[in-house]
Parts: sequence; structure tokens; C-alpha cells
Amino acid sequence: MTEEKDKNGFITISIPTQLAEKIRKRMEGTTFNSLSSYVTYVMSEVLSEIDEDTQEVFTKEDEERIKQRLRSLGYLD
Amino acid sequence: MKLDVNINYIVSGLERSGTSMIMQILCAVHVPVAFDDLRLPDENNPKGYFELEGGKIINKLMNGTFPLQKYQGQFIKITAYGLLYLPKGKYKIIYIERNLEEILDSMQKMSPVIDLDSKKIEESFMKLNKKIKHEIQERPDIEVLFVNFNEIVLSPKNHIERICGFIPLPQSYSKKMVNAIDPRLYRQRRKLGNYFQEK
Repeated sequence: MTEEKDKNGFITISIPTQLAEKIRKRMEGTTFNSLSSYVTYVMSEVLSEIDEDTQEVFTKEDEERIKQRLRSLGYLD
Repeated sequence: MKLDVNINYIVSGLERSGTSMIMQILCAVHVPVAFDDLRLPDENNPKGYFELEGGKIINKLMNGTFPLQKYQGQFIKITAYGLLYLPKGKYKIIYIERNLEEILDSMQKMSPVIDLDSKKIEESFMKLNKKIKHEIQERPDIEVLFVNFNEIVLSPKNHIERICGFIPLPQSYSKKMVNAIDPRLYRQRRKLGNYFQEK
């Protein structure tokens, strides 16, 4: 991936032409008027979902904290 | 009053969320409930804990030695974490939720251990609650009714009617069940509208 910054706070990234064509087809019938705005929207949604999932995962650390608390309350040996 | 002997009936929720109150409500109309006296009433639960194994049923569920079959046709209390270890069966679960800050306040009052990182503990319990709710709703062998402690104490009638419909019990029982709720035991109060439940 190549990146070029511009003075308006945007960067340019390169994606394969074939992928760009697939994305253009996906855009048909939407209100997005450029490939950039569509890709920006999709990527924001994907990243936000990943962030949400990461926060929600019940980890081993969470489980250990719960167990410690349950032990202190007499619910677990 | 008899329940279906092919079903395990469970009252659940995070610890200190009002599970004992639901057991009291059921006892008021002689619904079969099973508990022992290994953990006696105390200042944290003046009307009793309504638990089996002195509250340590989770240990037996974890190692697969709890005799669930023996308790078919009766309500037993299994707090939320224990539900992760429920084997395949046929269950009806009343799952009670309560404002999480109130739960943690109540746990803190009961526990001799001081929270060093209460924010992390809060997050962990929130995640556990979500995980359990998701899992019990996904399992085909479980029917679940969600009730909210804060709402049931403040405005019990509709919630009691929902419980009667779920078990099922005659709606004529609802008055006695409502009377079994003792609002004086709602002691760890936080502001209303701060529920963490999501359905």
C-alpha cells in the first residue's frame, strides 16, 4: 500500500484496480458519489465494529476477576 | 402447586441482583423451591439466601457433580456465572437484572475484600452479564424470562403477572406474590434510569 498526504488532512492510498471495480459495482444504487467516500464509510463501520467486539469479549482476565469476587462473597471455593 | 417434573426451574442473575427476592416471591404461593440452610440469613440477606450447597453450587456445576435431575420440578437458585456450566437439559430460567452500580455497592458491602480496581470489576461483570444473556437466549433447551429488580420493587404488578405467565401460575396468585416484596430491603439505591440491562 502506498500513502501520500495532502494539505487538507487526507492521504491517498492505492488499491488494486480489480478491487476498485468490485467496489464501484457495490456502490451502484447508493448515494455515495466517489470511491473514496464509499471506502471511507465502509472502513469506518468495519473498524468501529471490531472495536466494539474487542471491548465486549469476556476474557480470561475478566473471568479471573469474577471468580475472585465470587470467592470473596462465598459463592465459589 | 406442582411444576413440570421434566423441567429444571432456575432463578438466576448476577449475585446481589435480587435472586433471593424472586425465591421469596415464589415461596409466598408455595411454588416448589429447593434450598438448604448451610448459609443462614444475615444482615446482607435478612430473609435468607435460598441457596443450595451454601451458595457454592457453582463448584459442583463446574465439575459436573451437581445432581440437577434431583431438582426437576422445583426452582433452585444458580447465580449467573454458574449458568455457563449448565449441561444440556430442559430449563426455565427467571433471570433478574439490576442496576450494576447497585449490585457492586451491595457486593462491596458484603465482601471483606476492598475493590482495588472497581472500574475493571464493573466491566467484567457487565461483560459476564451480556455473555450469559446471549448464551441462554441462544440455547434451544432454555426458556428465559428477564425481569428487572429495580422495576419490580417499584412497580411490581405487571412484572409479577409476567412471571405468572411464564411459569405458568394462576394470575390469582399475583396479589400474594406482590405482597411478598419488601421494598425496605432495596437498600443500595442509585438513580433510576441508569440500568445497564439491554434486551
